[in-house]
Amino acid sequence: MTHLDAAPAETAGVPATGRRRYWLPVLRWEGGAVALLAALALQTRLYTGQERTVTTIAMFVALAAAWNLIGGYAGYACFGQVGFFGLGGYTAAVLMTHGHLSFWLALPLAAALAGAFAALIGWPLLRLKGHYFAVATLGVSEGLREVVINAGTLTGGGAGITIPTAGAGAPTAWLGNDGFYVLMVLIAFATVALVAIIARSRTGYALRAINQDEDAAASMGINTTVAKTIAFAGSAALTGAVGAAYAFQQVTIFPERLFDVDVTVLMVVMVVLGGAGTVLGPVLGAVAVAFASEWLRQRFTDVHSFVLGALIIVAVVLLPQGVTAYARDAVRERRLSLLENVRRYRL
Amino acid sequence: MAGDEGGGVNQLAQATVYGLLQGCLFGLVAVGFSLVWGVLNVVNLAHGAFVLGGAYLAWELHDAFGLDPFVSMLPAAVVLFGLGYAIQRWLVNLVVNAPIFITLLLTFGLQLLAVNTLILLFTANYRSIPTGYTGISLVLAGDVRVPLGRLIAAALAIGLTAALVYLTRRTRTGLAILATGMDRGAARLMSIKAAHVYALTFGLAAALAGAAGAAVGAVGTFSPADAGRLTLFSFVAAVLGGLGNMWGALLGGLVLGLVESWGGQLLPGTLVNAVAFAALVIVLAIRPQGLAGRAFYASRLEA
Repeated sequence: MTHLDAAPAETAGVPATGRRRYWLPVLRWEGGAVALLAALALQTRLYTGQERTVTTIAMFVALAAAWNLIGGYAGYACFGQVGFFGLGGYTAAVLMTHGHLSFWLALPLAAALAGAFAALIGWPLLRLKGHYFAVATLGVSEGLREVVINAGTLTGGGAGITIPTAGAGAPTAWLGNDGFYVLMVLIAFATVALVAIIARSRTGYALRAINQDEDAAASMGINTTVAKTIAFAGSAALTGAVGAAYAFQQVTIFPERLFDVDVTVLMVVMVVLGGAGTVLGPVLGAVAVAFASEWLRQRFTDVHSFVLGALIIVAVVLLPQGVTAYARDAVRERRLSLLENVRRYRL
Repeated sequence: MAGDEGGGVNQLAQATVYGLLQGCLFGLVAVGFSLVWGVLNVVNLAHGAFVLGGAYLAWELHDAFGLDPFVSMLPAAVVLFGLGYAIQRWLVNLVVNAPIFITLLLTFGLQLLAVNTLILLFTANYRSIPTGYTGISLVLAGDVRVPLGRLIAAALAIGLTAALVYLTRRTRTGLAILATGMDRGAARLMSIKAAHVYALTFGLAAALAGAAGAAVGAVGTFSPADAGRLTLFSFVAAVLGGLGNMWGALLGGLVLGLVESWGGQLLPGTLVNAVAFAALVIVLAIRPQGLAGRAFYASRLEA
C-alpha cells in the first residue's frame, strides 16, 4: 500500500493517465487562499441583498463538498443528507434555546451529534448498495423530520423554534448579515479543505477504490467498513455544522425547511454537474447551480422550478460525467462534442 | 374478536378494514414504480407526478363529460402510456447506463417539470372528484363501515395487479419484459429490442400510475404538492414487498396501509409516518430483497 501513499498530491479526481495536469497546481492551496481572501474582500463591494445571495451560495458550496465525500468519493448515493442538515440545525437551536449554550459551543456539538448519528445508522445502512442505500437514507431523513415535528416540547413542532438572539436571554448575539457572510465563507472553505485533505489521505484512496469495486478493495486489504463509516460520519458532521450555522442565521426554523428533500437534490445536482469525486467540481457546481437557481427565482418568479427542472434534464443528458471531467477530456483529448457524452450512457 | 370491550374491538376492526382498503390503493400506486425499478433499475422519482396526471385527467373528464372516475381510468391509462413510452424511448434511454445519481436526477427534473405544469394548469389547490357513491358505505357486523368508493378502488387494484401478473407471465411481450430485466445482453441476443421493451415497460408503469391516479381522485382529495408523498409511498411499498414480484407491491402497500391505520389509532400526531419509515429502514437492513422479493433480483444489490 506504500505506493498509494507516495502518489502525487494533485491526483484528486480520477487517477491521471498519461500527461501531467500542468495547470492544476495553480488551483491548489495557494489558489484556495487567494480565493478565500477574494471572497472576504468581495464583501465590501456588495449590497445587502447580494451579500445574502453570496452567503447562500457559500452555504451550498459547503453542503456540496460535504455530500461529495460520501456520494462522490465513496459512490454511495446518500439521498437523506438533508437529515443531517436538519439534525445539526435543530441540535444548535435546541441547545441555544433550552440549554442557553453559546453558539460557538452549539456549532461543534451539532456537528458531533450529526456525525455520531451517521456512524450509528451507517453500521446497518452502509451494507446496502445503490438505490437501496439511497432509499434507506431518504427514509431516515423523512423519519427524523416526523420525530422533530412530534417532539413539540423540545423542538416547537411544526410551528418552528425561535432562537433568542437579542436581549438578556440570548446566549450569543445575532451575527448580522456581515457576520454570517464571513461565517459561511469560512465554513465553506474549511469544508472544502477538509474534504481535500481526506481525499488525499489513505482513507481517500480507500474510498475511491470502494467506488470502483468494493469487493476488489476489500480483497486488497482495505477495511471498507471503517473507510465508509469515516466518509459517512465526516460528511454528516460537516453537513450538521452548516445546518447549525443556517439555523442561527434564520433565527426561526421550521421542520419543513430544515428537512426539505429539495436541499438534498440540489446538493446532488451540484456535485454531479460539477464533477463527483473531485475537489473543485462540487465548488464549481455549487456556485453555478446556486447562482442559476437564485437568478431564475428573481427573473421567472412563477415558473422558476419549471425552468430548473428543464435545466437539470438538459444538463444531466449532455454532461453526465460533470463539467470538470468534460473540461479535462476536452483539454487533453480535444474532445469537445457533447454528443459523445450522450453516446456514453445511451442504451 | 369476542369480548366485552365492544367499542375497542370495533375500532380495531374499523382501522383494519380502512388500512386494508388504503393499502390496496397504495399497492396500485406502487405497482408501476416497482415494475420500472425491477426491470429497468431506474427509480422513477416522477412516478407520483404521473399518478397526479391521471387524477387530473379524471377530474377534467368528469368536469367536461360527467364521466365516472373509475371509467376514466381507461383513458387516463392510455394517455399516460403514450407519455411514458415517449419519455423512456427518447429521454431516459439516453442515460439508462449511467451511474444511479444520473437517472435519479433526470427523473427528479421530470418531476419538477410535471408538478409545475400541473400547478400552472390546475393551480395548487386541493380538488376532489364528486361521485354518486361518495358517503355511501356498506355496514358490516359491529357497525364497521366499508366506504363503497374505496371498496371499488381496492377491487380494481387487485384486478389490475392480477392482469399485470398475467401479462408478464403468460404473454410474449410480458416475457420479453421480464427477460430484458433479468439479462439485457442475453435478451438482445434473442432479438428482443431492448429500447422498445424498456419504453413499453415505462409506458405500462405510467399507465398503471394513471389508472391509480383516477382511483386516488375518486376516493380522496389531491393537489400537485402530493407528488413527492405519492412517490415516497411507492418507494416504501415497493421495497417492503420486494422488487420483481408483481404481487409484492400490493403486499407492501397492504403492510404500509395497516401500519398507518393501526399506528394512527395508537400514536399521537403524525408520528405514524416515522413508524412507516422506521419499518422501511428495518426491512432494508434485515431483508433487503423485501418481504416477498426473489433471490435473483436481490443480486441487484450489487449493481
